[in-house]
Amino acid sequence: MNAQLSTLRMRAAEVGRAALHASARNLVSTGSSSVLLFLVLVIEFGVGLVIIQDLHSSYSEVEEIYGSSVRGLHRIGELEYDTQETRRTTLYALTTSDGNLQVSYADQSREADRRVTEGIGDYLAHAQTPQEGAVGRRLWNDWSAYLAVRDEVLGRILEADTQKAIDIDLSLGVPRFQQVHQDLDEIKRLYDQQASERLGTVAAFSRRSVIKLTAALGFGLLFGSIAIWAIQQMRMRSAVQLARLQMDFVAAVSHELRTPLTAVLSAGENIRDGLVCEGSGLREQGSIITSQASHLAELVDQVLLYAAIGRDKPWHEARPIRVSDVVESALGEVAFLLKGAGFTVKQEIPPDLPLVDGDLPVLSRCLQNLLVNAVKYSGGSRAITISARKDDAPDNGPGVQISVQDHGIGIAAADLAHVFEPFFRSPREVASQIRGTGLGLSIAKRGAEASGGRLTVVSQEGVGSIFTIHLPGSTLAEKNGTTAPKDPAFGRMAS
Amino acid sequence: MGLRGRLLFILFIMCLTLGMERSRLIYASDRPERPARPEQALAIVVNRANPVENLSSAELRKIFMGTRGQWPNGRRITVAMLDYGQSERKAILRQVYRMDEDAYREHFLKEVYRGDVFAAPKTLSSAVVMRKFVFNAPGAIGYLRASDVDDSVKVLRIDGHLPEDRDYSLLIDEPL
Repeated sequence: MNAQLSTLRMRAAEVGRAALHASARNLVSTGSSSVLLFLVLVIEFGVGLVIIQDLHSSYSEVEEIYGSSVRGLHRIGELEYDTQETRRTTLYALTTSDGNLQVSYADQSREADRRVTEGIGDYLAHAQTPQEGAVGRRLWNDWSAYLAVRDEVLGRILEADTQKAIDIDLSLGVPRFQQVHQDLDEIKRLYDQQASERLGTVAAFSRRSVIKLTAALGFGLLFGSIAIWAIQQMRMRSAVQLARLQMDFVAAVSHELRTPLTAVLSAGENIRDGLVCEGSGLREQGSIITSQASHLAELVDQVLLYAAIGRDKPWHEARPIRVSDVVESALGEVAFLLKGAGFTVKQEIPPDLPLVDGDLPVLSRCLQNLLVNAVKYSGGSRAITISARKDDAPDNGPGVQISVQDHGIGIAAADLAHVFEPFFRSPREVASQIRGTGLGLSIAKRGAEASGGRLTVVSQEGVGSIFTIHLPGSTLAEKNGTTAPKDPAFGRMAS
Repeated sequence: MGLRGRLLFILFIMCLTLGMERSRLIYASDRPERPARPEQALAIVVNRANPVENLSSAELRKIFMGTRGQWPNGRRITVAMLDYGQSERKAILRQVYRMDEDAYREHFLKEVYRGDVFAAPKTLSSAVVMRKFVFNAPGAIGYLRASDVDDSVKVLRIDGHLPEDRDYSLLIDEPL
């Protein structure tokens, strides 16, 4: 029966370990997936910003090109019109012999040529390439040459020498005017060429932006899908794992319950059927029933407690308590065990310890489990020490450490990492037929953590173990203005 | 002497008196006095490209009368006159042409018809137009009140005198 019980305990321990490992793996996997999704979103956001900036730059560039082209063509259009106006008004003067009208046309011609001259000067001032400068200078020279002819033609018209004016205009004015217009056409071609080149650049820029956008969307879609798929997988796996663990836990606990029940049932049947009627046999069956019932009760208590402190929501009410009260309560609960086994408990509890926040039954249970453990694994030693001291860890502030030290068989190094796992029982314990559920240390650990602290162990095989509960100082006491009273239990020996 | 003889004598005396009065007026206007203000001097202006700097009164008259048709550089001379009724025109007619409007018109009708003059003077509406005309026409010559002259035209010396000189002879009788 004991071998069967040990097997079940080992199985339960495996379930516990698997649960822990699965939880950790799920946590890591889910966290990784979330981090991946977050990274994808961050990268998408960054790439999106870059693309928006690219598109904005492209838009600005196109706008600038459009504006520049429009301004340039408008300027050239104005120049063309004013050159035409210069010539047209000059020729209008030919159509009349009225000196006043001729002077008026001459005025209009000179006003138009002033605008043209200013426009060419402006173009030259804003010429950005050597080609523009060269064309601008050529236009300036050709326009000046035409104006010289224009002045001569105007003079001849005003002097009523119409024939000479026409001759000069046809022989010199027309070719020079055509040259001016060729220059203006050249400038227009330059504008078109520059606009085409810049549009080509913008088009390439836009293509790159589109490629970037497509790549970013593809990247986001791919990795986002992977991340979401991974998260869903993790959740599903976690749910499956949890369901399996729950089933395993129920199966293991059922098995643990059935074993003592079977023993009780078997002893009861022996007595009922008259197989054992009197004497030592009857006492032995009674002892089996008592022992198994006690084990059953202990198992049920442990499971209920484990389940109770495994819930996420607060399961106790914290208040400032004295460490000496915790120690006293725990010792009171296990006094019969200590006394029955002949143990001596040495207490080293200083009187000026700070208060801690917690639920007295919980912390007492935590300490009880450590004491029961010390009793179980003390080997031939019958001495246990309970000590407490201030813990001035700088990161946690003032706190208290409560240690339970035994001088027993110790814990193997390989088992140290698993002693707080639920249902864990080391093979050596099983082999030594040391009874237990494997939930005691797990419950103690949860109790310490529920009080805002932690539980640690230092052990050496064959030398003994020291379990230490680390508890932070009371914050509730500070709020309420409560101080720790002197503890008279310092240095008291209990047995 | 009968009645007819007396009437003829009276008519003769009246004509003589009128003729003497006319001669006295012309003589008086031919005697220029020192211009009291610049706007009373009449400047003879030409295009700034014109090489001529000085003209005698006789040369000026020939030019305005159309009997001299070219500048020394060979450029045809174009005379510009202000419109009818303006004081500058009256002064030119009186002091240069020594004609009234009718005689001036008749003179150029005949000269142009005979082909001795290429074209009658251009008639311009204002001093501003006159200035612009002379500025635009290299062979033009015209006149302006001295106060209307600017850098766009060149003022000629007449008999060696500029309008601001004490002995300058071309004056406008009517105030501005």
